[in-house]
Amino acid sequence: MTIDHILTLLLVVPAVGLLPLYVFRGDVRAVKQVAVVTTLVELVLSVVMLSQFKVGEAGFQLVDEAAWLPSLGIRYLVGVDGISVLLVPMTTLLTFIAVLYSSGGSIKDRLAGFMASFLVLEIGMVGVFVSLDLFLFYVMFELMLVPMYLIIGIWGGPRRIYSTLKFVIFTLAGSLLMLVAIVAVWLASGDEGSRTLSLTELLTNRGRFSAEFQFWVFLAFGLAFAIKLPMVPFHTWLPDAHVEAPTAGSIILAGVLLKAGGYGFLRFALPLFPVGTQLWLPVIIVLSVIAILYGAAVSTVQKDLKKLVAYSSVAHMGFVTLGIFVLNAQGAVGAVLQMLNHGFVTGALFLFVGIQYERTHRRLIADLGGLANRWPLYTTFFAVFVFASLGLPGLNGFVGEFLVLLGTFKFSGVPLGGLFWGPVAALGVILAAVYMLWMLQRVMYGPVREAYRALPDLSPLEVACAVPLLVLTVLLGVFPQPAIDIIEPSLEQVLRLATDPGFQLALR
Amino acid sequence: MTAFVDTITPILPEVIVTLTACVVLVADGLMTRERARLLLPAITVAGLVLAFLGGPLAPASGQYFGGFVQVDTFTAFFRAVFILLAVFATLVAPSYLERRGIPGAEYYATLCFSTVGAMTIALSTDLITLFVGLELMTIPIYVLAGMQRRDRFANEAALKYFLLGAFSSALLVYGFAWLYGVTGSTRYLDIATELQRIGLANGPTIVALALVTVGLGFKAAVVPFHQWTPDAYDGAPTPATAFMSVGPKAAAFAAILRVLVIALAPLSVDWTTVFAVLAAVTMTGGNIVALVQTNAKRMLAYSSIAHTGYILAAVAASATAGASATAAVLFYVFAYGVMNLGAFACLLYFDVEGSRGATLEELNGFGRRHPLGAFAFFVFLISLTGIPPTVGFVAKVFVILPVLDAGYAWLAVLIALNAVLAAFYYLRVVVHMYMYDPETGAPMVLRTRLLSTALGISAVATIVLGVLPNSLYEWALQAAAPLLP
Repeated sequence: MTIDHILTLLLVVPAVGLLPLYVFRGDVRAVKQVAVVTTLVELVLSVVMLSQFKVGEAGFQLVDEAAWLPSLGIRYLVGVDGISVLLVPMTTLLTFIAVLYSSGGSIKDRLAGFMASFLVLEIGMVGVFVSLDLFLFYVMFELMLVPMYLIIGIWGGPRRIYSTLKFVIFTLAGSLLMLVAIVAVWLASGDEGSRTLSLTELLTNRGRFSAEFQFWVFLAFGLAFAIKLPMVPFHTWLPDAHVEAPTAGSIILAGVLLKAGGYGFLRFALPLFPVGTQLWLPVIIVLSVIAILYGAAVSTVQKDLKKLVAYSSVAHMGFVTLGIFVLNAQGAVGAVLQMLNHGFVTGALFLFVGIQYERTHRRLIADLGGLANRWPLYTTFFAVFVFASLGLPGLNGFVGEFLVLLGTFKFSGVPLGGLFWGPVAALGVILAAVYMLWMLQRVMYGPVREAYRALPDLSPLEVACAVPLLVLTVLLGVFPQPAIDIIEPSLEQVLRLATDPGFQLALR
Repeated sequence: MTAFVDTITPILPEVIVTLTACVVLVADGLMTRERARLLLPAITVAGLVLAFLGGPLAPASGQYFGGFVQVDTFTAFFRAVFILLAVFATLVAPSYLERRGIPGAEYYATLCFSTVGAMTIALSTDLITLFVGLELMTIPIYVLAGMQRRDRFANEAALKYFLLGAFSSALLVYGFAWLYGVTGSTRYLDIATELQRIGLANGPTIVALALVTVGLGFKAAVVPFHQWTPDAYDGAPTPATAFMSVGPKAAAFAAILRVLVIALAPLSVDWTTVFAVLAAVTMTGGNIVALVQTNAKRMLAYSSIAHTGYILAAVAASATAGASATAAVLFYVFAYGVMNLGAFACLLYFDVEGSRGATLEELNGFGRRHPLGAFAFFVFLISLTGIPPTVGFVAKVFVILPVLDAGYAWLAVLIALNAVLAAFYYLRVVVHMYMYDPETGAPMVLRTRLLSTALGISAVATIVLGVLPNSLYEWALQAAAPLLP
């Protein structure tokens, strides 16, 4: 089956869902049905999109374009390549799961508004991964912000207002500076009348970007992405936001929103600003390794289950930036896989933490324990995701981290060399095993509390939410090659652009 | 007779608005109170719409009345802006006026007179026309601000506005006198030619420039000439505040563009840097003070100062960046008009017994109490912050563009950082509307259909223009063309 303009369709479907959502806003049942059906249609469409993608080609496919702001040469331009084509179905799957889980009754207040926020969020998330024009990308990047602000702020926990404002202010600070940089790129992209923001044209014109220009513009882009990702030391919004967000919000926040940062580096910052990349690379590598170790160390001492998973995200995202900036195929493929895997695994972990919280109303690790005997099904699922998260071979978490470490060992373009930073980063994997297993032991095993004896195991709806994630976790762990085949050609092209010898000379 | 018609035709919109004001005043005497309540706003809106239709949208440039008046695309753009704002200020007013016992006819008529004044500024080619327009615009606003005679805050507002307004007019007219003394003319083009001939700025031209800058700075509420703004905005009747915060500001920028970009163009080296610094101070000052406000009306008043700063940044860039800068000013003025008027008008929902201008606490749970009204307010706030997909975002991009082009990278970064500051206080309002529950015994919000309709239309416009800004931008570019050398 081929559908024309499928990427545009993917952006339109959630918007279409908003209308019935408004019409039936008073009817909880109908609201649930509309939201679930809309996100399901979106998921199916994204799988169709994936099937239309030709594996092995590096360039952009399924491109759709239209004039948008002709007086400025800004176009509506969407397309996918190997880097983004897998992130789109990941997004639609996680959104579907988040909406499906929320339709189970965990959201009691203003459900229509909640679901509407998720649909708008979905437009933004899919849009970020398919935009090939910087202006469109920016609009989509910001479009993700407001719904998440509402989701945390309205349906979140007790400290939701502090957390959501912190989240928004941090993110805006980064992205508005990126906006200035985008305008600067537009001005530098050509002479008056031929300026553009479309990625393909910018790539041919990037010779016009001087070294000094690239230094500053890369900094602005990098800040926006580093805050979104988040990289240490810009990560402080993340634990707060995660702890207060409702479960569905956490799933999306960790599963998809953070990826926008890593994706932004690969899609725009690296290929457009090779000199900027070279100049900032040592800083980013050091920060990545710090993130890996710091995230792991802080996770170890967390008392709050949700905070532990949140800090583990910081460590996992450290692998993503490390993999991207070692500028070789292994590292970059590992980074993209790590983004996918982290989406499925951490999404699942937040889902399970949420399920557990809804029953016990406790998130402190010390208050939990002994649940394994009462909840065999829950424990099985949860343990698999915990193992995947700590990088057990055979599950997907291992593949990404292994490739990133491999790439790091081979990389020499950084002070002290890859043979120093690689082993240091590998310590993070060991630490991950420590905090994850210790957490699993304290939460699941030991004596069970009297109060928890009567609590039921997973409901069919919850199983339905978890199964697709479990299947993908195992599948990508045992058999990652098809995914690598999709990702690799496009990544190699990006790396060629980022390590263009012509620009290396400009640097010296 | 035909000669008369030919003379009048170019300024037909201004004539129609004037006549509308007169008709409203006369009609008020002829009908019962009950009927006047419904008919007067209808007459006003009809007159304004007629005025809008009375002038071409893209007229060929031409000078009339012995060179005192110029009609061009710039004029047409501002005519449309002012008429739109006046229509909006009329639509949101009726129930408020009735509740507060403000005489309707006087409100609508003064509004129309002020609109004519603003339109006259956009017509000006001569300092005298400009001054007449400015006074015709401001004097009715002093009246509007003080229309609630028994309210002491309204009295304070009117008096403050009047005293500082008169003071700034005096400075301005003194500056005009110096300009006349230096160049021997009051016509923009002659002034420009003469200044060009004189060459480097000397003492008297600097004095003239300084006085004109300060005078216009007062009118546009540029820091440090802004002190009248919060009290005047806060004390005036809310529909009048909504108009005051956008109409005179737009007119002030029309004046700034006409005077600085045309008449004082030879001095641009001198005023460009000054304006860049003023822009920086204005946006930062306005935002910082807005941060600590606990009353939504005062918060919006200070934030409107910050927006002046953003527009001023584009003015500063106009000497170097040309058309894109002036178009940015026009686009921002339009966008700001729609969203800020909308935001102020949203406060009308809270105009109930015992409330004076909506504290943040009174906004608690607005999202539950009036979902659509709250959503409109939400859209305006997001737009004022500059988050896509709204017209406020596009306007900010259009401002950053010439500012960077003119080489003021620091100013562009400052605009971005200021938007973050602004996000904090705008989004705090959203927090109160959606994230706190209404206090028990919280006053009801008003439900007036006309207000909701007007707000709904402008909220939709805010989003539509944010997604599809091209035609408005093209129009702004076209309107900026007459300002180019």
